[in-house]
Amino acid sequence: MADTAIPSAIGGSEPAIGRGLKGLLLVAIPVFLVGWLIIYPIIAAILSTLFVDGPQGVHFSTASYQFFFSDPYSRANLALTLWTTGLCAVLLLLVGLPIALYLRFSTSRFADLVQSLAIFPMFVPSIILSYALIRTIGPNGTLDILLNAIGLPKIPSPYLTPWGPVIGLVWDNLPLTVLMLTAGLGSISNSAVEAARDVGAGPIRVFWHIILPRMGNSILVTISFTVLGIFSSFTLPYVLGPASPEMMGPFMLRTFNDLYDPLNAKTQAVISFVFCLFFGLFYVWSIARNQRSQTR
Amino acid sequence: MARLTIESLRKFFASTVAVDDFSLDVADGELVCLLGPSGSGKSTILRMIGGFEQPTSGAIRIDGQDVGRLSPDRRPTGMVFQSHALWSHMNVFNNIAFGLKLRHLPRAEIRRKVEAALELVGLGGYGHRQTFQLSGGQQQRVALARSLVLEPKILLLDEPFASLDQHLRERLREEVRDIQQRLGITTLFVTHGQDEALALADRIVVLRNGQCEQADAPDVIYRNPQTQFVAGFIGQMNFIAANVEGGTFRHPEMSVAIGAQDGPAVLAVRPEALGLVAAEGGAGVTVVRSTDFGSHIMVDVELSDGTRLKAMTSPAMRWERGTRARLVPSAYALYRDNKLVVSGTVGASTAAPAFGAAPLVV
Repeated sequence: MADTAIPSAIGGSEPAIGRGLKGLLLVAIPVFLVGWLIIYPIIAAILSTLFVDGPQGVHFSTASYQFFFSDPYSRANLALTLWTTGLCAVLLLLVGLPIALYLRFSTSRFADLVQSLAIFPMFVPSIILSYALIRTIGPNGTLDILLNAIGLPKIPSPYLTPWGPVIGLVWDNLPLTVLMLTAGLGSISNSAVEAARDVGAGPIRVFWHIILPRMGNSILVTISFTVLGIFSSFTLPYVLGPASPEMMGPFMLRTFNDLYDPLNAKTQAVISFVFCLFFGLFYVWSIARNQRSQTR
Repeated sequence: MARLTIESLRKFFASTVAVDDFSLDVADGELVCLLGPSGSGKSTILRMIGGFEQPTSGAIRIDGQDVGRLSPDRRPTGMVFQSHALWSHMNVFNNIAFGLKLRHLPRAEIRRKVEAALELVGLGGYGHRQTFQLSGGQQQRVALARSLVLEPKILLLDEPFASLDQHLRERLREEVRDIQQRLGITTLFVTHGQDEALALADRIVVLRNGQCEQADAPDVIYRNPQTQFVAGFIGQMNFIAANVEGGTFRHPEMSVAIGAQDGPAVLAVRPEALGLVAAEGGAGVTVVRSTDFGSHIMVDVELSDGTRLKAMTSPAMRWERGTRARLVPSAYALYRDNKLVVSGTVGASTAAPAFGAAPLVV
């Protein structure tokens, strides 16, 4: 019995090992690519900004970071990026939440049209969107022509001001925001809302006491996701934004391409990465919190 | 305590008629069950009373006041949902206290009322628990307490025990009945379970395609169904389609003298009113199955036209598969075009209640 039992046990474990190897092989290519194209450049960038070439060879130095944080122009660029990101996040929530609420609870046929319009910007490339905005709200754009036609003065154009990227980024990120918020609202059952109405809560109290606390996680995830995209955005700030100060994306490109200063460009990249890492960790924490609440 | 009056209520969803000309008067403290198959409109009626659906036409009055156009938060109704709809971000106490807080009651009074409501549903001391720490039955009790704590004039229960197991369902419905009688609260209960309706209700309203088929006390619904649909929906019922000729319902295996006009009709006989007698030779119907339920034996028989009937017999009698038997109905009802034509006991046809009047044939 023992003789027959031992080979069968070994035979049974072989397919399990094979399956494990196959599983590892399947994930090997993406893991390798992440390591090669993301993890390695990050580590290399961090090390190359801290260990720099000097007359006495390679040595540890934080000079480039000291320069960044002592340079008013670099600080202004970082501040503009943070301001744009924060403002866009707030505006996206303020615009996206009512649309998501309407899409979740409306039974009107008009809701389909609103959904199509809200999702439409997702299919418009950023560069096309930029030029469309220039043609619409830029100097002598469609809006100015229309205002002029009815005898009204031109508007002060947001093009090439900090408001240009804000308008573009909000428009560009609205579909993702609406989709994520609508998905979050989907987990709130109609009967939970109806039970609140039944005990005497009006629409505002239902939103404040029932809907908002139960979609806190999806709001956190939405903010984390959109903030990550906006902080590291390039095309819209580059085309629509001011030349000075400028957001970190165009700032890095100009430092690298125009000033031929790879060390400071990499330092700006590492600083941007640290901010994005913070938002990324916030996102991971939100996801983990969400999963914990769902397993209850 | 309140009186509920529903007049000519209609509800259309696009071109679909969900509720069609439904009227009902529910007395003070009465418990009425709305019973019907899926899609019969029972939940839609309840939701219109609660304010969650707007009637297309008709009136809903509570103590004479038309509430048909009021929003749910302005109606003196309390609803318990099938999915209990507890708010998982609040504990049990806060779930029940939410409505009281909206009414700006003093904190001490809120505490007293919530604790009293929890005691009423048998969950005293559960206030600090999270809702996800409760069993399905406990969650439904919290939902009931949440509605009762606001002392609504009308309590609406929308299949509240549908997601519970049979044993718990039976226990909870007895508790709900006790609470309802103790408080004397006018209650509308939606269910598709006939046993639930028969056990709970003062009156049952049987619905079909958005219309009321019959509204009567449970015993009347069971013993004197006014339509073929009600006869088939409540309890078990045998239907035999044949012709009435010369005052006799004639079927190859069964003839019953009936005071009805000639023409096609459907004879309805409850299993407990259908007796079996052993037949000689090849005559009679064929026994196809015999199931022992302890208190009685349910015998399935097949007629020559393929119709299957059920007969409830005494456990003392044994019917083997393939045995030939003769049908002996003791009480019947005759339907034509879904309407009751006549009902009675064999040999004494009357319009009086028939099915329950008949003794169990053994």
